[in-house]
Amino acid sequence: MVHPVQVSHVTKRYRRHSRHRPYTLQEAVARGFGGLRPKETILALSEISFDVPCGAMAGIVGANGAGKSTLLRLVGGVGRPDSGSIRTDGRLGAMIDLGVGFHPDLTGRENVRTNGVIGGLTRREINARLDDIVDFAGLRDFIDSPLRTYSSGMWMRLAFAVATAVRPDILLVDEVLAVGDAAFQEKCLARIRDFKARGSSILLVTHQIGLVERLCDLALWLDAGRLVELGPAPQVAQSYLAHVQEAQLAQATD
Amino acid sequence: MARVAAGTYAGSRASLGRRVLYLADLIRELVMRDLKLRYKRSVLGLAWSLLNPLLQFLVFAFVFHWVLPLDIENYPVFLFTGLLVWNWFSGALHGGAGVVVDSVELVRYPRFPILLLPLVSVASHWVHFLLALPVLGAFLALAGIGPYWSWLALPLLMLAQFAFILSLVYLLAAAHVFFRDVQYLLGVALLLGFYLSPVFYDSSIVPERFQLLYRLNPVAVLIDAYRSVLLEGQLPPALPLIILLAGALLMIALGLPVFHRASYRFAEEL
Repeated sequence: MVHPVQVSHVTKRYRRHSRHRPYTLQEAVARGFGGLRPKETILALSEISFDVPCGAMAGIVGANGAGKSTLLRLVGGVGRPDSGSIRTDGRLGAMIDLGVGFHPDLTGRENVRTNGVIGGLTRREINARLDDIVDFAGLRDFIDSPLRTYSSGMWMRLAFAVATAVRPDILLVDEVLAVGDAAFQEKCLARIRDFKARGSSILLVTHQIGLVERLCDLALWLDAGRLVELGPAPQVAQSYLAHVQEAQLAQATD
Repeated sequence: MARVAAGTYAGSRASLGRRVLYLADLIRELVMRDLKLRYKRSVLGLAWSLLNPLLQFLVFAFVFHWVLPLDIENYPVFLFTGLLVWNWFSGALHGGAGVVVDSVELVRYPRFPILLLPLVSVASHWVHFLLALPVLGAFLALAGIGPYWSWLALPLLMLAQFAFILSLVYLLAAAHVFFRDVQYLLGVALLLGFYLSPVFYDSSIVPERFQLLYRLNPVAVLIDAYRSVLLEGQLPPALPLIILLAGALLMIALGLPVFHRASYRFAEEL
């Protein structure tokens, strides 16, 4: 059985350049093309391997800077691992970075249309679903206003509605869900659960450990780019929580 | 070796027919988006794409008809042809150089085919060129020129010009991500290039001893070819155009992999 998401031995390094790196051609020529090589590289992810089977939901937990979003972006095909491989198969829906794909000067409707087409629908398909998308986002009165007039919550609702307009085979969701109010969050989670029931593979990055315990089948705990634990969601969530409490305790006694 | 399943944006399980249909839709949608964005920012909207060459036209016509008379037959239509060809070239090159940097929201979109960005930019400037063609037609009619059979060669000239611009844009757009003054330097080069191209004068008045060098400028070859086809009803010499097209296709073949490799770092660098 081939899983829709297969990540094996993925390592990603970010380049860090010295302060003197030339950012213009003129500087670069003046310095004989010196200083272009990165000063050092930062290990963002190291040897990460996991699969997400059909109908399974994987939660990614860890402190800020642990590499959760980097991992999600790589699975989404934004950037490329330095080594290892990522294979994804099927239609992708992603809510990774808020506002990606949206332009503030275009109206909600125009943005939905472009986003839908970039996301893999033909123009006809997206036009047929436009009303559903607008209704789900609850933005009927604002859909012909430019996006720059939207609040971040409205922006997010529209993005989620577009990304999930058609059942994706793979759904990637980052913390962005936290932007919406409780009612909309519930609506999103209901939709996510529905996709899961119908066989989508879902990757969820969140700081709400409760969500991981409640919804996920498996979980990954990342720390400084390394995979600390991979296993059944309740188990990983418990050991992560224990670790966090321990760290807090240690800090309090200092 | 790192491997990422690529080209699956239409769904790897989709049929070839659907994929082609989808790709056409995607390009069309992106070109329309580009045009919409350009016109949202100006009050005059679409009219601007016509007004701009017309204003240029008025200034040059004034200078080279009354101030420094060049004595070229049918100068208005001669000039307007040169301006249209040049504007497509310089606008697409300048806009194309910045296309990756200006499209952060698309570059960061999961699975967005970044390879299309330069193509979309050149195509959107080509649409401006097409929109101005009726005005050129009016100029021709007023001068009592044509219609000629040679006009049918126009699509071939546009194809050669499209390929030529695109071949440069792939490299420029990638370079501009890493060196943010590429677009600015290009602007300077274009300003100089304008005078080294036969936009407002006739290339035949370039002295014989410079002609060989002068002909190395692909824009000169293109403008002359357009004029020969549109104004004189004659097909231009084929060889320079064939070399231009072949060279452009070769450059695209070489530039695409460079752009593709660089594109993995775009999201990081923006």
